[in-house]
Amino acid sequence: MAILVDKNSKIVIQGITGREASMVTKHALAYGTKILAGVTPGKEGQDVEGIPVYDTLKRARQERELNISVVYVPPAFAYDAVMEAIGNGIKLILIITERIPRHDVAKFLLAAREANCTIVGPNSVGIINPEDRVKLGAIGGDNVERCFIPGEVGVISRSGGMTAECSWMVKKAGFGVSTSVSIGGDPLIGSPPKAILSLFEKDPKTKVVVMWGEPGTSYEEDVADFIKEGGFTKPLIAYIAGRFVEQMPEGTVFGHAASIIEGGMGRPSDKMKRLRDAGCHVADNFNDIIQILPQVMPK
Amino acid sequence: MARVLENIGKELLRSNRIPTPDFSAVSIVKEARKAADEIGYPVVIKALVTAGKRGKAGAVKFAENSDEVEEIAKQILSMTVHNFPVERLLVEKKLDISQELYVSIAFDSSKMMPIVIASSAGGIDIEEIARTQPEKIIKYHVNMREGFHLYEAKEIWSDLGLTGSALQKVTPILWRLYQVFEKYDATIIEVNPLAMTSEGEAVAAAILMGIDDDALYRQPDLSDKVEMGSDRAWRPLTALEKEMVAVDASESYRGTARYTEMEGGDIGFLCGGGGGSLLVYDALLRFGGKPANYTEFGGNPTETKVTGLVKGVLSKAGIKGFLMDANITNNTQTDVVAKGMIRAFKDLGIDLKDFPIIVRLAGVNDVEAKRLFSEAGLEYYGDDITMEDAARLIVDKMRRAYPGEAN
Repeated sequence: MAILVDKNSKIVIQGITGREASMVTKHALAYGTKILAGVTPGKEGQDVEGIPVYDTLKRARQERELNISVVYVPPAFAYDAVMEAIGNGIKLILIITERIPRHDVAKFLLAAREANCTIVGPNSVGIINPEDRVKLGAIGGDNVERCFIPGEVGVISRSGGMTAECSWMVKKAGFGVSTSVSIGGDPLIGSPPKAILSLFEKDPKTKVVVMWGEPGTSYEEDVADFIKEGGFTKPLIAYIAGRFVEQMPEGTVFGHAASIIEGGMGRPSDKMKRLRDAGCHVADNFNDIIQILPQVMPK
Repeated sequence: MARVLENIGKELLRSNRIPTPDFSAVSIVKEARKAADEIGYPVVIKALVTAGKRGKAGAVKFAENSDEVEEIAKQILSMTVHNFPVERLLVEKKLDISQELYVSIAFDSSKMMPIVIASSAGGIDIEEIARTQPEKIIKYHVNMREGFHLYEAKEIWSDLGLTGSALQKVTPILWRLYQVFEKYDATIIEVNPLAMTSEGEAVAAAILMGIDDDALYRQPDLSDKVEMGSDRAWRPLTALEKEMVAVDASESYRGTARYTEMEGGDIGFLCGGGGGSLLVYDALLRFGGKPANYTEFGGNPTETKVTGLVKGVLSKAGIKGFLMDANITNNTQTDVVAKGMIRAFKDLGIDLKDFPIIVRLAGVNDVEAKRLFSEAGLEYYGDDITMEDAARLIVDKMRRAYPGEAN
C-alpha cells in the first residue's frame, strides 16, 4: 500500500512531447512505471519513448483506461489542460507546471473540489511510491534508489528539491519511504500538508510521516489543528526551514512564492510552537531527523 | 507578486468607476506646490514608494497652504521610507471624512479561494482591528465559478451595520473592487481607509495593490506599470543584485537564479533549491557563520550562468570563503555546475590554498563532478554528508583560516 499512486495507476501525460516531459517519461519507464498515453494537440499518431500521443484526452480515453494525469503543459494553457482532465473524469491530477496565473489556479482547484478530483501541485516535482516503482514527475531523476527506497515513512514537502533530500535522510536513518509527495511551493495548491496527512493516516503501510515546512501560509498551523482534532494520529516529524526570515523586513519572499511572512502571519517559530503543542516531533536541526526517526518508529 | 505604486493603482480604480481623491504624482518641490494649488487645500502629501505602513514612517503629511506644501514636500523627498529612498510624491485632496471603513481582497491559502475582508473600523492596520475589534470584521470567501454578486457586497456591509445612503454607496464600490481584482489578475487589493466623506460619498482614500507577475503576459497594459520583483526585496535592488538579474536573464531558457545581498558577512553562499537555501542559511547562522548573501539556483543552469553567479557572489567586498551547498539534484547536472564554478575561481585568480571552500553537491552526473572538483583542489562532498554538515564544515574552516577573528 501507499497513497495516491500504486500498481493500478493508469497514467497519462498531458504535454508529453515537451523537452522535460519526454525526458521524465524516459526515466519513469526505465524505473518500471507504466505510462499508457500522452496528449499534445496536433501530434496524434506520434509516440514518445513508445507511448502513443493523442490530440485530446477524450481520444486517449477511447483507447485506454486512464485515472491519473500528469500536467506538463505551459502556464498559459495549463488552466484548460487541468479542466480537460477534470472534464474527462480523471481523479488524480499532478501539476508540474510552474508559474500558472494564480486566478487560474484558484478556479481549477475549485472545479476539482466540486468534481471530487484530487490535485497535487502546481509546481510539484512529483510523487513516488518506491515499492510499486511508480514515479510521476522528475522526482528521483535517473538514479531513484539514491534517495527513494521502499519503506514505511511518508514524506510531504513544500520544496521539490527537499522532497528528495528528506527521503534521503530517511534512508540515511535506516528506513525507506511509502510515498514521497512534493506538494508545490505556491500559496495556492491542490493538496496542502493536511490533505496528504489524512491519506497517510488511512494508509496501513505508513507508520511515520516526515514533513518539510517553510515560512508563510497557514499550512503547518492547519496541520497542528488537524492533529489536535484527532485527524492524524501517527508520529509526525516536522522541520520548518527559514527561521532567519523572521529577522528580515516583513513581506519579503525568500525561496518559494509562498515563503513570505505578512501581517505577522507565517512565522516559522509560531509554526514550530503550534506543532510541538499538538504533539508533533519538531526537529530543531535538519540532521536531528536521523536520530528522531528510529525513536518514534513503532516497533 | 509585483506591487503597484499608489498613483497607478488609483488610476486603475478610477477607470473602473471607483472614486478616489483627486491626485497628482510629482517628483520635485515646485511641481508639488503647483499640483496642490490646482487640487485645492487642504492636501495630503505621501511618499510614492512600494513599501507599506508609510504613515507610521512619517511619510504621510497634511498641508494647508502652498508654503506648507513646499516644506513638507522637501522633507519627504529627503526621506528613506522602510529602506526605499523617496523619489516621487503623491499630492492628494484631503478628504473630510465622517467614517473610515476597511476592505481587502486577496487569496486565502487555507481555503484556496479569494477572500474579501471588510470592516467598519478602517484607518488602522487590519491586524490591530482583528485584535481590538474582531466583531467589526467580516471574512467572506468568494466562489469563483459563481462570481461575486452585488447582493453579496450589500450583505457584507449590512452585516457590518451599514444602512441608508452609506450602504447604497459602498455596495457597488466593493462589487467593483472585486471586478478589478479579477480583471487585472490582482493578488491583493487593500483599501484602507475606504472613506465616507461628510458629503456622503464613498472614496478609496488609500490603497495597496499587487499584480500576479505570472499573469503579466495577458495584462499587456500593466507590464510597464508594475514594480517587478518588488516582493523579493525589502529595499531597491543593489548594483550587484541588478548584475545578477542580468546574469540570470542572459540565458533565461535554462536554470533560474536569485541573488540577495545581505548586510556584512564573509561567506559567499550558493545553494541549490528554494527550500534548501532556507535550510542552509539558517544552519550557517546557527553555527556562528556570517553569510554575505542569499542565493538559490536550480533548473539545470548552463556553465556560463554558474560562472556568472559564482563571480557575482565572490565580487562582494569582504568575502573570505565560499560554500556551495545543494540538495541532491533531480535534474540539475552537477558536472556542469562544477565546470562553471571552477572556471569562476580560475578567472578571478583566487588561490584555493588560502581561500576556504566547501562543496556539497550530489545528484545527476556527480561521479564526474567529484572528479572535476578534486582535480581543481576544492574540498568536495557528495551524499556522504548532509547539507547541514557542509554548513558546519565551512564555518569551522573559516575559524581555522582566520583565527583571531570573531566568527
